Amino acid sequence: MEIYLQFILLGIGSGVVFAALALGLVLTHRASGVVNFAHGAIAMYVTYVYSSLKDDGAYPVPPLPNPFAIVEGILSWVGITVALPDFPTFIQMGDEWPWWAAMLGAVITAGVIGFLFHYLVFRVLRYQPPLAKVVSSVGLMLILQAAVVIRFSNRARNVESLLPNDGVDVLGTTVPMDRFILFGLMIAATTVLYLVYQKTKFGIMTRAAAENEQHATLLGISADSIAAVNWIVAAMLAGLVGILAAPITGLNPLNMTLFIIPALGAALVARFSSFWVAVWVGMGIGAGQSLLQIMEIRLDWIPDINLSQGLPLVVIVVAMMVRGQVLPSRGAVERGRLPLALPTRIRPRVMTVWLILMTWLLIWGPFEWRQATINTLIAAILAMSLVVVTGYVGQISLAQLSLAGIAAFMLSSLATDAGVPFPIAPLLAALVATFFGLIVAIPALRVRGASLAIMTLAAGVAIEVFLFKSDGWLAGDSPRRVADPSFLGIEFGPNSPFWFGDGKVPSPAFGLFVLLVLTGCFIAVIRLRQSMLGAQMLAVRANERAAAAAGVNVQGVKLAAFGISSFLAGIGGTLTAYKFGTYSMESFAILASLSLFAFSYLGGIATVAGAIYAGTLYQQGIGTLAFEKLFFDLGRYEAYLAGIFLVITALVQPQGIDVFDRRERRRIAWGFMVLWRRMTGNPDRTKPEWVTRIYPIYPKPQEAVAEAPEKVPAEVGEGGGGS
Amino acid sequence: MSAVLHTDGLTVQFGGLKACNEISLDVNRGELLGLIGPNGAGKTTFINAITGFVPATGRVLFDDEEVLGWVPHRIAHRGLTRTWQSLELFGDISVRANLEVAATKLTPIKAVRDYFGSSQRVAARVDQTIDALEMHEVLNARPDDLSMGYRKLVGVARALVADSKLVLLDEPAAGLDRSETSWLAEKLRQVIDYGISVLLVDHDMGLVLNVCDRIHVIDFGKTIAIGTPEEIRTDEAVIGAYLGSSGGEEQ
Ligand SMILES: Nc1ncnc2c1ncn2[C@@H]1O[C@H](COP(=O)(O)OP(=O)(O)OP(=O)(O)O)[C@@H](O)[C@H]1O
Ligand SMILES: [Mg+2]
Repeated sequence: MEIYLQFILLGIGSGVVFAALALGLVLTHRASGVVNFAHGAIAMYVTYVYSSLKDDGAYPVPPLPNPFAIVEGILSWVGITVALPDFPTFIQMGDEWPWWAAMLGAVITAGVIGFLFHYLVFRVLRYQPPLAKVVSSVGLMLILQAAVVIRFSNRARNVESLLPNDGVDVLGTTVPMDRFILFGLMIAATTVLYLVYQKTKFGIMTRAAAENEQHATLLGISADSIAAVNWIVAAMLAGLVGILAAPITGLNPLNMTLFIIPALGAALVARFSSFWVAVWVGMGIGAGQSLLQIMEIRLDWIPDINLSQGLPLVVIVVAMMVRGQVLPSRGAVERGRLPLALPTRIRPRVMTVWLILMTWLLIWGPFEWRQATINTLIAAILAMSLVVVTGYVGQISLAQLSLAGIAAFMLSSLATDAGVPFPIAPLLAALVATFFGLIVAIPALRVRGASLAIMTLAAGVAIEVFLFKSDGWLAGDSPRRVADPSFLGIEFGPNSPFWFGDGKVPSPAFGLFVLLVLTGCFIAVIRLRQSMLGAQMLAVRANERAAAAAGVNVQGVKLAAFGISSFLAGIGGTLTAYKFGTYSMESFAILASLSLFAFSYLGGIATVAGAIYAGTLYQQGIGTLAFEKLFFDLGRYEAYLAGIFLVITALVQPQGIDVFDRRERRRIAWGFMVLWRRMTGNPDRTKPEWVTRIYPIYPKPQEAVAEAPEKVPAEVGEGGGGS
Repeated sequence: MSAVLHTDGLTVQFGGLKACNEISLDVNRGELLGLIGPNGAGKTTFINAITGFVPATGRVLFDDEEVLGWVPHRIAHRGLTRTWQSLELFGDISVRANLEVAATKLTPIKAVRDYFGSSQRVAARVDQTIDALEMHEVLNARPDDLSMGYRKLVGVARALVADSKLVLLDEPAAGLDRSETSWLAEKLRQVIDYGISVLLVDHDMGLVLNVCDRIHVIDFGKTIAIGTPEEIRTDEAVIGAYLGSSGGEEQ
């Protein structure tokens, strides 16, 4: 029996980190109504800073864009290789720092990060819908995570313990002392914070601002500076606990970043408002995970499937089932709107040009271009799965690639191990993904916004742990294999022969197959937008209550969206599996899901054309390749840039590239025309009809009357039709 | 039975507050019934309760069927629809699509048939409503871009288009000017002529006293008077309730 007690007490080590992060989540949610997915990443980043200062006396400079790199790239076109100055990667200050100095430096860094997050991002997004806030915090998480990978690589880093860890005897078992010290520090910190927030004017103002920002503003409280202080405190606490607990939990760029999931579970139980509940549940999850680990080893009747990793998901699901929509609303007006879900029209000319270009690239393009095109096409299908669920219905799903992964693993079992023939195997595999998508959706039906993002993130991690990891149900030991698909005797896998081209992998046959599937999905999703189901989806997105009152079965529509979306993700997953032939879980890891979400938002998450942009920009797609050909190798910077662009998109152009392009294209063209006429002395300033066709995105009633196209009664004209 | 809606002892409890306290109310077929009361009297809560948005106790018979406890969309399909005090339109689809959504009872099979283009669209009923309310000119605009008056109208149209037997209108005249209000009153009488019953909640006494057949007055969740406009105009309890409340009716 003692051993169980021992493990419970050992679990306090990570439990304290969960508790500190949960507390920080409560603080930042109070401060600016944000669920900060990047909070674990802050702790992780700060701990790296500490470790680097203490061991090497080197302060890591966050990667900054260097304009010279572009110049170098351009010069290399003409064969000139030069090495222009670059930003320093580290600032060297002595050899080793004493622990307290390193800690001070790191915690100040934490405060700066907290302040910048507030000042540059969430202050600006205060009145935006939850989607924009979730997107930005996910972007910030990607940025911090990628920054550490760029500076320190992916490897785990050893952090020396600051706390004494001699054994202490408790109730017949021995536990290192550091657990108790951490526990004591955490309780002390929480008590102090609790008293400050209960008793001081600052605390009362924070609560007033959290409850109703407008009232608080009327009372002369500057919600802004209060929020800033909360952010700084939350970030410093996260960093401090990260530094102290890293020797126990271990430190690598991913593990502490993902501690956000148990922390989110604890914060949810605390309804993002109670300090003590957050802290106790956080510690409880840590202790519970540790206990489950030893139980799994000791007790035969518990299957060895990493149960402990599922605990946060269970906590999150139970919290949501019991309490429904747990995130309290903050009485703040939402002025922002969701990205417009403009209908994408099939424009024959544009589509023909695009198809010819893709076909040409797939057949006669050099190896890397063929590869990049295939990557782009598959990513576009995956992005479409997000268009349906997030764009049309407004439900944030962060687990799309986990669903894709399920289909991929199923495909390998079905097609390769069980010999199921071609069209059946991938379709069945996609249906299995659909099934899992629906399982994720059912507990999620009652929640939306950030809560749903939390739930899908946790589900994604759980799928990864239980199904994909080497001892998971789907994975097995060896890397998975998928044979090339063939139908009616024609083979069209990456290794299949083809009449034209250089005869090397990836075969144009496979590329064309992917192109065909994408075109099918493209048309299908456009059609969905025009169908009654699509209209109901948008109604649900706009206003669930009103939709229900108008006779829309809200839960049914959501389920349909999750189902369709998971099916599309599943199709994308099977294509990914075919592409690799042999693949591992990395392609479907949770970070890949997040970056897919990032690119989809960037391209335009609410339109089908946006998904094509997303695919073009996606990692290792055409966009990246073109950039690397023109300028320089992106390498590890890809994820970093994805994060930065994601945050910028959320801040500046939440519509994404597609709508931005449609709205501005004609205006810009008209600007050039005016300029040209000025220069050539042409006095004609009358706007031609095609210019005015930009505006119906926000038609004034009169304009709408004037321009209402008679052929398309169901929708507002998108303005870009048939160009 | 001539009542299209019959509630009996309808009670809604928010913690210690009884927002609706034993309200018994009948809306007869083809009747325009006014439901009035000072601010916070429980009018919106009453509408929320019978359309399935807040849990309530008591009985709600709609068209001789007990609908209490049904999910909102089922109640709407049955023919009991409503508008919202705070509008709540579908901001990013066109006005016409707003109406189409409300006009369709989408079952999974219908959804699939519609997707593959083989189902009959609901165009006829939508067109009828549009004709009746004379709102052709805004059909292709987005509700977010319309004036307040038009937005209210879209809300009313959306409730009517669903082939409803009874519509519950929550303050349709709020934010409208005098001429818009009288135009609305005229439209409401027309709606009655189509055989639809109406429950009208509004603070505009002029409108309510003018168009309603009967008026039901509540205060603090309780019924304080029922009667014809003339009776209500002179009712002591009603005058007392309105004088006693800070929120006057005719602002
Ligand atoms: N969801 C809720 N939770 C708690 N109390 C509520 C809730 N909704 C309404 N109330 C309370 O119930 C009472 C009745 O509110 P209701 O909105 O029905 O009034 P109303 O008659 O529609 O007023 P108004 O004319 O201002 O619209 C009010 O005191 C209100 O504060
Ligand atoms: Mg009301």
